[in-house]
Parts: sequence; C-alpha cells; structure tokens
Amino acid sequence: MGPMLRFIAVRFGLALVTLFMVSFIVFGLMELVPGNCAQRYVAYKSTQGGGTITQADIRAEEERMGLDRPFMVRWLSWTYNMVATGYLGESCLKRVSVNQILKDKIWISMGICFAALFIAYLIAIPLGMLSSTMRNSAMDGSLRFISYLGLALPDFLVALIVMLIGTMVFGETLTGLFSEAYRDAPWSIAKLGDFLRHAWFPAFILGWSSTALQLQTVRALMSDEIEKLYVTAARARGLSGAKLFFRYPARHALGPLVNSIGFDLNRIFNGLPIVATILVLSEAGFVLLEALAISNDQEVAGAIIFLLTVAIVVLNFASDVVLAILDPRIRLGVV
Amino acid sequence: MAMTEDALPTAREAKKKEAYFTASQYQLVWARFRKNRSALIAGSILMFFILIAVFAEFVAPYEPTKAGFDRSYLNGPPQLPLFWDDNGFSLRPFVYTYKQKRDENFHLIFDVKKELDQRRYLEFFVEGWEYHLINTYVDLPGEGLDFRLTVLPMNRHLFGVDKGKVHLFGTDRQKKDLFSRVVFAIRISLSIGAIGVFIAFVLALAIGGTAGYYGGWTDRITQMITDAVRVVPTIPLFMAMAAFVPAEWSSEARFFFISMILGLVGWPTLARRIRTHILAERSQDYILASHLCGARPSHIIRRHLLPSFTSYIIVDLVISFPYMVLSETALSFVGLGLKDPVNSLGVLLQNVTDVDVMLNYQWYFIPLPIFVVIVMSFVFVGDGLRDAADPYTVHK
Repeated sequence: MGPMLRFIAVRFGLALVTLFMVSFIVFGLMELVPGNCAQRYVAYKSTQGGGTITQADIRAEEERMGLDRPFMVRWLSWTYNMVATGYLGESCLKRVSVNQILKDKIWISMGICFAALFIAYLIAIPLGMLSSTMRNSAMDGSLRFISYLGLALPDFLVALIVMLIGTMVFGETLTGLFSEAYRDAPWSIAKLGDFLRHAWFPAFILGWSSTALQLQTVRALMSDEIEKLYVTAARARGLSGAKLFFRYPARHALGPLVNSIGFDLNRIFNGLPIVATILVLSEAGFVLLEALAISNDQEVAGAIIFLLTVAIVVLNFASDVVLAILDPRIRLGVV
Repeated sequence: MAMTEDALPTAREAKKKEAYFTASQYQLVWARFRKNRSALIAGSILMFFILIAVFAEFVAPYEPTKAGFDRSYLNGPPQLPLFWDDNGFSLRPFVYTYKQKRDENFHLIFDVKKELDQRRYLEFFVEGWEYHLINTYVDLPGEGLDFRLTVLPMNRHLFGVDKGKVHLFGTDRQKKDLFSRVVFAIRISLSIGAIGVFIAFVLALAIGGTAGYYGGWTDRITQMITDAVRVVPTIPLFMAMAAFVPAEWSSEARFFFISMILGLVGWPTLARRIRTHILAERSQDYILASHLCGARPSHIIRRHLLPSFTSYIIVDLVISFPYMVLSETALSFVGLGLKDPVNSLGVLLQNVTDVDVMLNYQWYFIPLPIFVVIVMSFVFVGDGLRDAADPYTVHK
C-alpha cells in the first residue's frame, strides 16, 4: 500500500497547488476589471433609489466590503473562505451572499453536467467498441465525420438546430428544466422525477461534443489493441467472442479514457452558459451569464468560474487515483 | 529493342525515386497531402471561403451595415436564382419580383407575393456602392494608434439585378441584405481567428520554448502554470474577460480586444506541444555541437530547434484555428463578443432563438451551415496536414 498512498498524497498536493493558482488567476481577473465592487454597488443603488454618488459613499462602501485591504490579503481570505468554509463572497449589487443567489442552482448545474458526462460515455464506449470489431472503411469514414462534426457543431448550435426543428415540426420548444407546477415547489420525489424528465435533453446536448469525439477515440484505441500479438495468442489458445474481447483488449484500451474525463467535463462546462440561455435553463450557467452580460457582477462570476474549476480539479484527482488503482505501472511511477 | 523498352520505365522510375530522395520536406508533405482526397476537397472549400473573405466588398452586392437598404423588403425571404420555370428557359439566371404587403389586420407580419411572370435577370460585374479594394482601418482607444489606409477605389460588384435589388439569402428585420452580411461575417470570423491564433502562437512559442529548452525546474513550474490555465473552462473565462469591455469602445477596438483575449487564453495547448517537441529535440547531438560552438540559447532555439518542427507548428496552428472561430462565435452569440455594426457569424446568430424567427423567418439560420462547413474544412485540412507532416505515417 506504500506506493499507492504516496501516489495519492503527491497527486493531492498537486491538485491543491493547481487550485491555489486557479484561485489566483480568477481573483486576479476580477481585480483587473475596471471599477471595483463598491463603485458598482453605489452606482447600482443610485439607479434604484436616485440620489447622487459621492466619493465618500464609495469610500464607506469600500471599507465595509474590505476593499481597502491589500490585494494579497483579500485574495488569500477569498480563497480561504471558498475552500475552508464554503462561503462564496458577497454579490456586488445585492447585499446578499453568492451562496444565497446560487442556492441549489450550482448543484443542479453539476447534476446536469455530470449526467452529460455519463451519457456521453454511456453512448461512446459501447458504440466505439462495437464499431472497432467491424472493419470497413465506410464505418471508419462516417465515425471520423461524426467526430469532426462534434468539433464543428458545438453544443449550442446543436441546441439551436433541435429547437428550430422542434418549433417547426412539433410546435414545442423543449426548453426549461421543470414544468410549471414544479418550478417553485420545494424538492420532493415528484419534483426530482419531473426534473429528470426534462433534464435528459440538455444533458444530451451538453455531452454531444464529448460523445462524438470519444466515439472516435474508443474505436481507435480498441482497433490498435485488437491487432496486438497477445490477442492473437489468446485466440490461438482457443478464446473467442465476447470472452476474448472483454478479457484482453478492452481492459487495456479503455485505461487512457479515464484520463480524458477531466477534459470532457471542461468541454461540457464550456457549453453550459450558452446552452443554458438557448434552452432557458435556470441554473448556474445562466446565473453566470447574467452576472457577466447584464449586471457585471464580478463576485458572482468569479465564484461560479472558481466552483466549475474546482469540480474539474477534483474529477482529475479522482480519475488519477482510479487510473492508479487500475494500472500498477502508474502508481509505481514507471510511466 | 526489348532492352530499351524495359529500360525506359526503369529510368523513369529511377528519376521518380531520385525526385523523392532529393525532395525538400515541404515537397514531401505536399505529395502526401495530395493523396488525401477529403483533405484536398476541404482545402479547396477553405480556399473558396478565404477568397470570399478577402474580396468581401466585391462579392457582396450591398453594404452589409446599411439598415433599411431595400425599403419594400422587411424580413423578406431568400430569392432563389433560377434558370428555367414554366415560362421557359433562360441562359441568364433570374429571380422573381417579390411584392410585400401588410396583411389586412395590420399585423406586423408581412405577406410576400411572388410575381411569377415578372422576371428580373441577374447581371454580373455591375456597378454599385463604392469601396476601396485595400481598406485598413484601425481605431484603438487613444489617438496615437489610429491608422487608416485606403487605396484603389472601386464600385464593381460580382453580381446585381437589372431591376430593384436581389437578396439571395433574404433580408433581416432591419432590411439589411443577409447575403452581404454573411460575406462580411466570414471575413470577420476568419480574421479574428487568425489574430487569435497568431497571439496564442507567439505566447506559446515564448513560454513553451523556454520551458522545453531549459527543462528542470523552469519546465516544472511553467508546466504547473500551464496546467492551471488549462483547467479553467475557457468559454466562461472568455466571457468574464469580454464582459468588462467598456461599452463606449468602438466596434473595431472591441474586435481587437476580443481577438486578443482569444489569444491570451488559447496558448496553453500549443505551448505544451511546443515544449514537448523542444524537450525531445534538445538532447540531440547537433544541439550539443551548437552549444560547444558557443551559440546563445535564443540563437539555438531560433536557428536549430524551431526549423526542426516548423511543419508540426503549422499543423497545430491550423488545428487550433477552429477553436478560436468557435469561441468568438459563442461569445458573440450571447452578446459578449462583437456588436452589431461588425458582423461575425456569431453576431448573425444572435436573434435566432426568437420563436417568431423560428416559425416565420427560418432564413436567419443560413449562417449556421456555412459556419459548420468552414470549421469542418479547417478540421479536415488540419487532420490531413498532420498525417502528411508525419514522416512515419504508414501508407496502406
């Protein structure tokens, strides 16, 4: 167990370092934004209630928000609050915490995104494996085409096309995450069911690019592996069919896939805010877009970007550990 | 006699072989690329679009930014050029005359009537609005950086119609000609990609080159930073940066800023690849020899290391191009990227989520397939180039 524990400890340390740097990037970006939170708040308040803005108002607000402290102090306390206490900071415009604005929306987003990841692999792995056993160039060509399409037709364009067809042919828009009755209801089994009935569609759309690209990857990995000598040797010993397939090449070929999960989640997060506006999803991606495009609320935006990145870093760490469990070469540091 | 007949093909073969052995790397790459039919087709499609982008003023029959261009045609459907109909065949393509009437209830929806017997013939190389064949205009914030170069005034356009106006892709709600807008959008999208790729490339070269060349701790720290940048989802990051562009900036300044941040966020993948190349190459003997001759690191990187994988870098650039175009489209689509007077494919798609558009004006979606074709051909060309640049590809 020695090397395994060491491996996990090293990876955990690296993940922490990455998070630390990410928090610096995100927080630094929020700082570079012209105008700080206090100015934004005072300006917003004057548009709501009238009255003129004075320098003293802004100063007072800066002091209340703690913006008069040096950059390093604010950054470290921001990061500490995020990671250790889960407090996401205070919204610039409304005097409420980001936690309160997001509420369960961030969990809904994570749910959709992980569902998208799950659906993508659920489709890509079996289909890719199946197609690797069929050797013909028509299959090769069409799979390559689909994987390119996954790149050329990003999820928000797929969402647009599906919406167009839905509206033209069925007169239905396939939007939203809940039906009328459940939108503001508290969580219950019935609401969860309603959510699942609606959420499969955005999840599929979000996972579309990953599905298309992984399909090709799985096929390529499997085709390479099937041609290796040990598979021929196994066949010579009399193994055949599914037994041969799953016992030998499949186990080896699918290892590298675990590595790409983090990238796929990244890809899915990329599509999230835009798909959210098209499909009118009321979750964190939409809140992010709103914070950026409408209210210019840097605290909310920064917090959401940081949370999304944390999810990716955590998933990367988890997939590293899973890979180390599956593959002794990795935990011993041979490869 | 038989001898010479035999000798002739062998001589030709020998010549072919010699040409192969003495060919430069680019000739070899081109020879391999030519064999890849899909990449070749994609390449010609790409050239076609690049030509359209370069000669956008010539190709577009009307000014793309001019609202209310055709007063009688609001949200008008596309006008399809035909060669024949029930009234007979014509060598010169023609479009029908479209008459738009407000319907009886004075709703905003317009009824368009096609006058089948009133043909309007397409004409080529017609005179139209004035433009300059070379028109470079840079308006960055601040006076000193402004720059304008306009020469070669022209007013010829690829096509027009003998009576009235022709709208191949229809018009939008501001009566702008959608075809002209699409033509200009292709130019903007391609050039934003080019600038983004260029900036990303320079950054990647500096960062990846340093990391790969020095190795050790420099490499490890740079890799950590690169990984940290890579792990942040790019589109939300783009949005965060683009959202805070001051509203009073001109659309050109916006354009440059957007392409700049595309480059600033897009470098890590390229940097990583460059670093890997250099890391593998720097322990070669010829680098050591250059070291011993007293060459400086920058000289070695520039003169010896970079040329050793120029073809790979070109491939990487072509492959990263569609990502830039995609990101710009995504940004503009949600309204954080370019804004209206500047057309890009994303700007054109801004209004299509409207139910009204989806039910009545489906031609707003025309930019979408064009966009997909452009990105697709980039990916195909990139892939073909990658295979061609790899000397170890096995030809079956």
